[in-house]
Parts: sequence; C-alpha cells; structure tokens
Amino acid sequence: MFRNRREGLALALPAAIFSTLLFLVPVAILLSEAFRSDTGFSLQGYVDFFASPLNRSVFLRTLKLGVLVAGSAAIIGYAAAFCIVNLPGKARGTVFGMVVLPLMISPVARTYAWIVILGRTGIVNDAIVGLGLSASPIRLLFTETAVFLGLLQLFLPLMIISLVSAMENIPRDVIPAARVLGASWLNVFFKVILPLTKEGLVIGGTLVFTGALTAYITPAILGGSKVLMLETLLYQKVNVSNDFVSASVIAMILIAMSFAANLVLKRIATARS
Amino acid sequence: MKSTLSILAVSCAMGSAAMAADRTLTISVYSFAQDEYKEALYDPFEAICGCDVVVETGNSVERMAKIEANAADPVIDMAVISTQDALTLARKDLIAPLDPAKLTNFDKLYDTAKDPIGDHMAVGYTYYASSIVYRSDLVEIDSWGDLLGEELAGQVALPNITGTQGPLTVMMLGKALDAGTDLAPVITEIGAHADDIVTFYSRSSELVQLMNQEEVIAAPVGRFAWGSFEKSSLPFAWATPKEGQAGGMNVMVMTKNNGNEDLAYQFMDYWLSTEVQTKVAQMLVDSPANKDVVVSDEIAKNLTYGADVINALNIMPAAEIVDNRAAWVEQWNTEVIQ
Amino acid sequence: MRHFANWGILGLTLIFLIGPFVIIILAGASAGPNLAFPPEGLSLKWYAKVFTIESFRASFVLSMALAVFGTITALVLGIPAAYALNRYDLPGAETIRTIVAAPIIVPGIIVGLALLRYVVVPMNVTVTVALFMAHTALVLPYAVRVVSSSMHNLRADMEEAAVLLGCSRMQAFTKVVLPNIRGGVLAAFILGFVTSFNQVPVSLFLSGPGVRTLPIDMLAYMEITFDPSIAALSALLAFMSLAIVFVAERLLGFSRYV
Repeated sequence: MFRNRREGLALALPAAIFSTLLFLVPVAILLSEAFRSDTGFSLQGYVDFFASPLNRSVFLRTLKLGVLVAGSAAIIGYAAAFCIVNLPGKARGTVFGMVVLPLMISPVARTYAWIVILGRTGIVNDAIVGLGLSASPIRLLFTETAVFLGLLQLFLPLMIISLVSAMENIPRDVIPAARVLGASWLNVFFKVILPLTKEGLVIGGTLVFTGALTAYITPAILGGSKVLMLETLLYQKVNVSNDFVSASVIAMILIAMSFAANLVLKRIATARS
Repeated sequence: MKSTLSILAVSCAMGSAAMAADRTLTISVYSFAQDEYKEALYDPFEAICGCDVVVETGNSVERMAKIEANAADPVIDMAVISTQDALTLARKDLIAPLDPAKLTNFDKLYDTAKDPIGDHMAVGYTYYASSIVYRSDLVEIDSWGDLLGEELAGQVALPNITGTQGPLTVMMLGKALDAGTDLAPVITEIGAHADDIVTFYSRSSELVQLMNQEEVIAAPVGRFAWGSFEKSSLPFAWATPKEGQAGGMNVMVMTKNNGNEDLAYQFMDYWLSTEVQTKVAQMLVDSPANKDVVVSDEIAKNLTYGADVINALNIMPAAEIVDNRAAWVEQWNTEVIQ
Repeated sequence: MRHFANWGILGLTLIFLIGPFVIIILAGASAGPNLAFPPEGLSLKWYAKVFTIESFRASFVLSMALAVFGTITALVLGIPAAYALNRYDLPGAETIRTIVAAPIIVPGIIVGLALLRYVVVPMNVTVTVALFMAHTALVLPYAVRVVSSSMHNLRADMEEAAVLLGCSRMQAFTKVVLPNIRGGVLAAFILGFVTSFNQVPVSLFLSGPGVRTLPIDMLAYMEITFDPSIAALSALLAFMSLAIVFVAERLLGFSRYV
C-alpha cells in the first residue's frame, strides 16, 4: 500500500468523474421520476407497481431466471475454467478463444439461432421425437426454458473468463500439494479454489446475474410477450404506454437487484474464506 | 489525455460531416424498403429541390420518442407514422396542422386519407389491409373466429395488443364473436384461450420466420408483409374472412416549428404525386392513397388497391385506439399474459 | 482418465457455446429465402448480399470507431483507477469503485433514454458524441474490474522492491506492473470492444439521421425481413473478431496471461 492519498486520488478520480457526469447524473435525473409526484416526494410508484399481480409475477420470474442462470453459469464455469487452466499452453489459447468467440457474435444473431434450434422443426425437437421421448414435437419456444438457455449461452463466457483469469493466479503447486496432503476434491474446492478465486466469482456472478436481468433481446425474442421479464416490461412501459414513472420504478428495482446480488456474492465469498 | 482529445475531435468531425449541405430536409420513416424509396422518391426529390434528404429510420416508438425529446429544437422536419401515433403526437402538441392549399395533389387523395385524424394534423399516403395468413395445405380459414377455434389450438399466433395490428385483430374477433363495440369481453375471451396461442408477436418478420418453420400455421398480419410469405416455398394463403378485412393507414405529419416547412411541404406533395405513388406501388412497397394511380391487375393483386377494396376496409378510428390503449394493455396484461 | 473427463466437460461446454454459431454460419450459407437449419441447399449469395447493403457499411464504420476509441479511452481512464484502487489506501475507495462499476447494472434502455433527454437535447450534443460517451462509460467497468482483478494477485512488494532498488514510481509501474497485467489489459480491451460493438439497448435511442450503430441497423433490417443475410453478416463479424483475438494471441501471447 502506498500512502500518498493525493496521488492515488489523482489517478482514480478521472474515471469516477467521467462516470458521474456523463452517466450517473443523467440516469439519476431519470430515476428520480420514480419518486416524484405532484406533491413532491412519493413512493406511490412502487406501491402501484407491486399492487399489480402481473408485475409481481414478472418480478419473481426475473429473479428466478437470474438466479438460475447465474448459478448454472457458476457450476459449469468452475468445471470449464478448471479444465482450461490445466490445459497445455497451446490448447489453452485455442479453447479460451473458443469460449470468447460467442461474445463476438451479436446477441441478436445468437438469439435467432435459438429460434431455429428450439423450433417445432428444429434439431432439439427432431432429437426428442427421434429418441421416442415424445410422440409429437413439444413447444419449447416462448417458454421459460428457452429464455433460460438463451441467457445462459449469452452470459456463460463472462463467468468462464472471470474464473479463468482468477484461477491462473493460483500458484501451480497449491492444488497438488493439498491433494498430496489428503484433501478430497470437494475440500480442495471449498478450502483452496473458492477462496483464491472469490474475486473472479464475484465479478463473474455479478456480470452474469446483471446481464440476465438487463438483457432485452433474448427474453423479447425467445420469451415473447408470454414470458415477460422486468426488462421487457420496462421496454413496454417506455415504448407503448410512455409511462416513465413505471419505467423508472422498474429500473430502480433492477438496479437494486444487481446491487443485492453483488453484496450477497461478496458475503458468500468472504464467509467461505 | 492527448489521445482522448483527438478522439473527441474525430467524433465531433464525424457528427458534423452529415450537416454539410446548404439545404437539408430531415425525414423520419419506417425502416422498410429504403432502397426502393431511394430510387423512387429520395434521389429524384434531391435532384428537383437541390437539397439533401437525410433519412432517419426505425420503429415508430423510437422515432416518436426522439421527436418528443427534440421538441424544443426539432431535428426531424416531417415524419411518416400510423394514424394513432400521429394523433398521440398531435395531442402532445408536437406536430403542426397541414395546409391543404400547399399540397397540389391533395384533391387526388381518397377521402379518408385527406384528414384522417381531424384538424388536418395528418394526411394519409398509403393504405393497408389486414387479414389472416394461413397454411392452405393444413387448414381452411374463413372467419376471424377460426383463430380461437379447436383446429388451430397450439399453432396460432396473434399480434400483441401493443402493436398496430393488435387492436385490429381484437376488433375483428369482436365482430366474429358479436361482441359489439366494447372490446373488453373479447380480450377476456382471448385470455381464456391464451394457452392455445403460441405467442403474441410484435414484428411481422418474426411471424414470417415462425410460419416458415411451422411453429405457427395461421396468424393475422398486415398486407405489407404478404410479399415475404409469397416468396416462401410453403403454400401460404391470404384469407378473405366473412367479417371482412381490417385495415389501416399510414400518414405524413409535420413537426411543429421546424423552420423547414416549405421544403417539407414540397417533399410531401411530391410523395403524394401520381408519379411517385405509381412508382412506389409498382415496386410493391406501398399501396397508393392517390386515386389517379393506375396499376396492372398483377400488381393490384398484391396491394390494397382501388376504391372498392379501400372503402370496404374496417378501419378503427385513431382516437378509439389512443383513448383505450392503456386500458387494453392493462387488461391484456392481467387476463391474457398471466 | 482425468484427461478424458476434462475434455468431456470442455467438449459439452463448447458445443453449447459454439453450436449456435455453427448454425448461424450454415444458415447464412443457405440457398433458400429463410433462416433455416439445416439450410435449404448451399450458396454464398447471402454472404455476397451483405456487402451490397449500403447502410451496413456506414454503420460498421461507426460501430468500429466507437468500439476502438471508446475502449481505448476507457482503458486510459480505467488503468490508473484500477491501479490506485489496488495500491493506495484511498478515502472513499468503495464509493469510487461503485461509481465506476455503476454503468454495468443500469438497464441500457434507461441509459440511452437518460442521455437523450438530459444530455443530447438540452446541451445540444451530437448523437455521435453521446454515443461515444455512453460507450466509454459502459466499457469503463470492464476496464477497471478486469485490470483490477489481474492486479489483485500481483504482489505489491515486488513494486516496492523496485522502488527501493532505485526505480522511480513511474518506472516501477512500467517495468513491474504493466508487463504483469498485460493479459488483463488485453482481456479488458477485448471484452470492452465486444461489449461496445454489440451494444443494443443503449444505442437504440441514441441514433440520429444517418447515424446508427451496426447492431441497431441489423435489428432494423430484421424488422423488415428475416432473410439469411443477417446470419451471414453475424458470421462475418464473428470471423473478424476471431481474427483480432488471433492476432492478439500471436503478438502478445494472449493465452499466457488470461
């Protein structure tokens, strides 16, 4: 730790000022509409929002899918990241490149790919019918399953990248050493890997959860209007009903959820170590 | 820091490059068929007026939001939108009334296109019919009521209430169900069948894809999307339901105090001229609102063309949509989506 | 045995991640008029069509410029911030961290709308500049967090040792810190680049006459038709990005650091 605070602030402040002036201030003005009424400060927007059963179910669905996507991404992510860091250098670069690759593809195109895959005449249904699991094609599009798959595919790379870059910093001999000393794999994971990669898990988890909450195209296309999520509902409020109060309320809720997720993840990470 | 500054300089330069010409008309239009419009409308107009036409495209909601946000200093001079969107803009005092005397082609328009939302706030430039597209090898459709029937259960899509087509479909279902003018019971009825409906689509291109992969075998859609179905190798047909076809109109509006009114009028008038309306019709882009346009039977077949067809359309008054939309969406959200 | 399990896990993950991409490439090579898999016959006509669509060229240039300059600006702002947050005992460090990270959790559509209503219009800022601001702010969290994460595990005593041995602070930074976080910086650049390049909701409201980012242009195109040219364009863009990663790997040994 260096002690010269003025020097430190001079380095950190430009970024903070940039974000504040060009980003936070305009957004804050917009969000303040969620607390505004004719008489001044008001929480009526929130009361009205949660009074609607549709809004409540959309809120719960968003939370559920966000948790499911982030949780699944963490499980798959750890497995994949562990395999990747154990690969020899050349293969590692190739595999890592392949993990990054989907991020290069426009989410619009990736989502449309799922329409083709999950459709009634798509390969998943071909397989289901071919294997005799169902007599006729089942409806996958416009279900929560479709949105879940789409979101997971969209954001899993972020988790893997975060975990790989955290895991590369684990000294190479730590895990074999723990194994030699008789620790089970589960023990190694919770006592060695998790504490040393918590930063990566917090970053990856927040990125995936937040990404899943604020993704628009995937729920819009794979869920459609039958599987509304908060972001698609927000879009509807802005676009269709020009209802900026409800839109600001939803935005506040989304932001609060992301913050909460970040705190919970940090808590989990510190509790384990 | 130096690089930041030079980047800002570059981006500023990029921003101002588009504003180089002396006289510029900025228009806001639907994104579709821009190549055709360029050939039939923008390029010839630029040659006539000696000005630049800058085109902003996008879906109507974004475009409206931008017109509203820029109200103090309008960027857009004229826009083409749906009648209900025009009425919404008019009620927000964002558009100016049009003077028919400044449009030499005004008298050539069908009567319903001359003043579709009142107070001469808009003028219609194209009509479209709305009916049901279906797979003729799998089903037979002769009533709007068939959409909620047994045969289509699990294989039908409806337009979302939030789009332009949604209210039209609800209106026609109301006719089929003898529900009268109140649409609330019709929405309840759709809600009762919600599980049988694959999705409530919001873009016609999305529907084209769903129908091509047999996810959906029948759905209501605007005639402007018919071309995409016709191109397909699958046997699609356009229904002529016994309740008739629904219909709509797109209109031109003038933003308020844009300071470029003369050029905007000149452009509107040119677009409404028999020459341009004929060209655009022959490209199968827009069905004409100008009565003098004559096209071949082959072309007419693919358009919403002629007094007989246009006068038979069930057009929903814009005011009815604007006044009720919030309530419809609310009811739709509780009874249909849940 | 463990080798086998490793490759099994990786194989399944990669199929899930890459499968849709393969489908997009092949769907773009369809001879038929619709997006379909398997494609109805093979042809390159949709790949050829992409280059004939004029608006894609302009929006590609804009998106490219935004992604490159926005990300570089974010790194210029972000690397010092990440360094300061790691190495100094700053008052309000947590606040700074939160402020810088904030753009990531604000729904894009709200950002776009807020900038349009309270920056572009009242301050008479051009849409291009607003886009540049928004994209830089959006990339900044990635820059700070990824660089920070790679700095986190770099022991500070090495740098202190360098200072003790007579290096200036700047020298210590360039000789000790920078080489060690190179991978992080590159990862941040690539993440930032793709985030910016593929950004949709923020740019939705931030487009003006003749100024539109590529994804918005693609979306607009898809509102009209669903033909396979969008699949073809997506595949071409992905190949372009792949080339960037490949070059990064060759020049800097990407995989050694990430």
